Amino acid sequence: MKKLFFKIFIYSILILLALEVYIRVFHLTKDYPVRYVDEFGVEKWMPNQEGYSVTGNRRQNFSEYKINSFGYNSYREFSPSKDKVEIALVGDSFIEGFHQNYYNSIGSKIENKLNGVEVYEYGYAGYDLADQLHLISQYKEHFNLIDHVILGIKFENDLTRGEYHIVKERMALESPFNKALRQIKLLVYLNSIGILDTPKDLVKKLFSNNKEKAPKVSKLEEDKQQKALEVEYLENFKSLIKIYGFDKNRFVFLLDSEKTPELFLNYLNEYDYKYIDFSKTLKKSKRPTTLIYDMHWNNNGRTLIAELITNYVKQMKSIQK
Amino acid sequence: MIFNSIEFFIFLLIVYFLYWFVFKKSLKTQNILILVSSYLFYGWWDWRFLSLILLSTVVDYLVAIQINGSANQRTRKSWLWVSVIFNLGLLGFFKYYNFFVDSWVDMVSMLGYDIKSTWTLKVILPVGISFYTFQTMSYSFDVYYKKLKPTTDFLSFAAFVSFFPQLVAGPIERASNLLSQILEERKFDYKQTVDGIKLILWGLFKKIVIADSLAPMVDDIFANYSTYPASTLILGVTLFSFQVYGDFSGYSDIAIGTSKLFGVELMSNFKFPNFSRNVAEYWQRWHASLSNWFRHYVYIPLGGSRTSKLKSVRNIAIVFLLSGFWHGANWTFIFWGAFHAVAFIPVFLMGRNAIYKDSVVAENTIFPSLTELGQVLLTFAIVTFSRIFFRAESITVAFDFIDKIFTDFSFGTYQHPMGYRMVDYYVLIILFTLYEYIIRKDERSPFGFKSKIVRFMVYTIVILCLLMFYDSGVDRSFIYFQF
Repeated sequence: MKKLFFKIFIYSILILLALEVYIRVFHLTKDYPVRYVDEFGVEKWMPNQEGYSVTGNRRQNFSEYKINSFGYNSYREFSPSKDKVEIALVGDSFIEGFHQNYYNSIGSKIENKLNGVEVYEYGYAGYDLADQLHLISQYKEHFNLIDHVILGIKFENDLTRGEYHIVKERMALESPFNKALRQIKLLVYLNSIGILDTPKDLVKKLFSNNKEKAPKVSKLEEDKQQKALEVEYLENFKSLIKIYGFDKNRFVFLLDSEKTPELFLNYLNEYDYKYIDFSKTLKKSKRPTTLIYDMHWNNNGRTLIAELITNYVKQMKSIQK
Repeated sequence: MIFNSIEFFIFLLIVYFLYWFVFKKSLKTQNILILVSSYLFYGWWDWRFLSLILLSTVVDYLVAIQINGSANQRTRKSWLWVSVIFNLGLLGFFKYYNFFVDSWVDMVSMLGYDIKSTWTLKVILPVGISFYTFQTMSYSFDVYYKKLKPTTDFLSFAAFVSFFPQLVAGPIERASNLLSQILEERKFDYKQTVDGIKLILWGLFKKIVIADSLAPMVDDIFANYSTYPASTLILGVTLFSFQVYGDFSGYSDIAIGTSKLFGVELMSNFKFPNFSRNVAEYWQRWHASLSNWFRHYVYIPLGGSRTSKLKSVRNIAIVFLLSGFWHGANWTFIFWGAFHAVAFIPVFLMGRNAIYKDSVVAENTIFPSLTELGQVLLTFAIVTFSRIFFRAESITVAFDFIDKIFTDFSFGTYQHPMGYRMVDYYVLIILFTLYEYIIRKDERSPFGFKSKIVRFMVYTIVILCLLMFYDSGVDRSFIYFQF
């Protein structure tokens, strides 16, 4: 029996090491860029990093990212000036685009359609409207030089707070312990393919003692709660605009009207906030617009979004003329 | 609790620890542990099912004692019938009752009478009922045929009936093999344990990498067969052939491997059936424990092949029809059984049903001869074709499916329903088949390479494949649990 346990122990270690080697050699899992909070209190990626983002068990989606000197994934550096026409895309992971090669982003697609225009992508996974407006207000001079600022928002996720503060949970990912864990590629891989979910759930179940079960709510009560939430989010929106400001001439939202409550859309319309609605365009597409492994836009989805933004900018130009 | 779940892994570790460290010194406590853990394992699905297994155990335990205690042949036979009627009654009620009612209603409707069936019942099919009822019946048969003395140790007998590694999907063991091991002291054997772990690993590979990863495509093609070209239907049934093989033989490997951890040897259930050279050889290699059961308890008592050719043919037909019916309460399975009877009988009549009994393809060479290759491909094609009946929802669907292949042939490329790369699966199947060909001589030793380095490389590749094809979104239960 001793021999058995000894051999199992030795083999386990050797197998784990071999798996670590395989995963590294075949690049089966993603690289993690380092995040930090800059001198203006803005959370972003540490400048000048490169790596690969991988999705799926068998690296079905494999893309390269490149963090520029400003701290965002982009094929270009950001150098706005009064002489050029620039577009800023500010948003979450959809704009950040780790799921695509950095040189095939929405920004690059727009640049291909609009000659002489530079597109800067300020995308960061998890950015809500507070993050976005705080970034713009902290880099006011920089953004003042940009002609069109497009802010991607999802009502249900991006208006949960009325004021910016650093998201501690996100920054905790940079703790020495988490950083060390990320060095073990096997662990990163197992986590990304969901194999660790079952043991995690089991441990959670053991310790939760079924206390976390939410009480059942009627449909009527659910609707009531939803309405209350919408009102709360609208108040957050007002608060954010009040604190960080909003240039209605240059700023425009990019949103899905089907997933945005009427209350909010009416408010935007009433107070002249512009928005680009991509709901119909994506829905109309005959080909899929999202990736297989996650909900991010695939190449077709990004092309359609780029077309929408291009049309918007062209329309704005013709108005200005 | 299924073999490919974290719950089972934890359960196995605990039982293993208790078995070899806490209850090591007493055979009786070890058997009680097997019994309790088996009931826990089975009750994990639904504790109400335990009453059935307990009833079946009690009935066959008592019947065997009565058979043995009587010198009168008629009395012995009557007691045997008690066992048969009780076990088949259980099966009949839980598995076939609704089928018989529906079939009767359909038949009456065909004669022009319109009746609405109100007799069908909402009965849940207890997991593995076909397996353990056959196992307990085999005990009564063996005692009746005086091949076995009945045991008076009820707990050990109950442990034999419910032995958790093979309880829900076999191999269907004969008491002469399993009960005798349960009644004897078992000692820890290093080699046996290591062999067991290897078989578990190989079984998991077949289940997770082959069966589970092919399942979404098979489900999609069979569910939407009317919208796909014939080439896709052929692909679908071929993939199903690999899926069902991976699923069931994977289960058997895990069962045999798990038993080895407890010092118990189960019979082999699958011996690389995809390399069979005719249908008869296929049935010696596919679900061998069921074939054995039917041979010993149906075919031979009916006269087997030691009777006229005509009667032998009748016996073969009966065995295959029963085997089909055993699989499920649906006409599709009966057709499937009939199809195999039709495929088997010519082989029997040509006297070629036992010629490959003790050999494998390319027995003494590296590559098969062209004749052997042709035979293997033809047998695979016949068996795969029969699986249309096995997999289709109804007999009408099966015939529609076949009709589309033969009368409306067209070619089209198939896209994975979730958009995954198809090439991954084609490469996987080819490599899997090649690997099985390499190890074809010993189904109990999937990693029997002499070189430690090669063995280690294979282990790591198998584990890497488990990770690369693991999909938390698919239904991970075993196909044969429904039988």
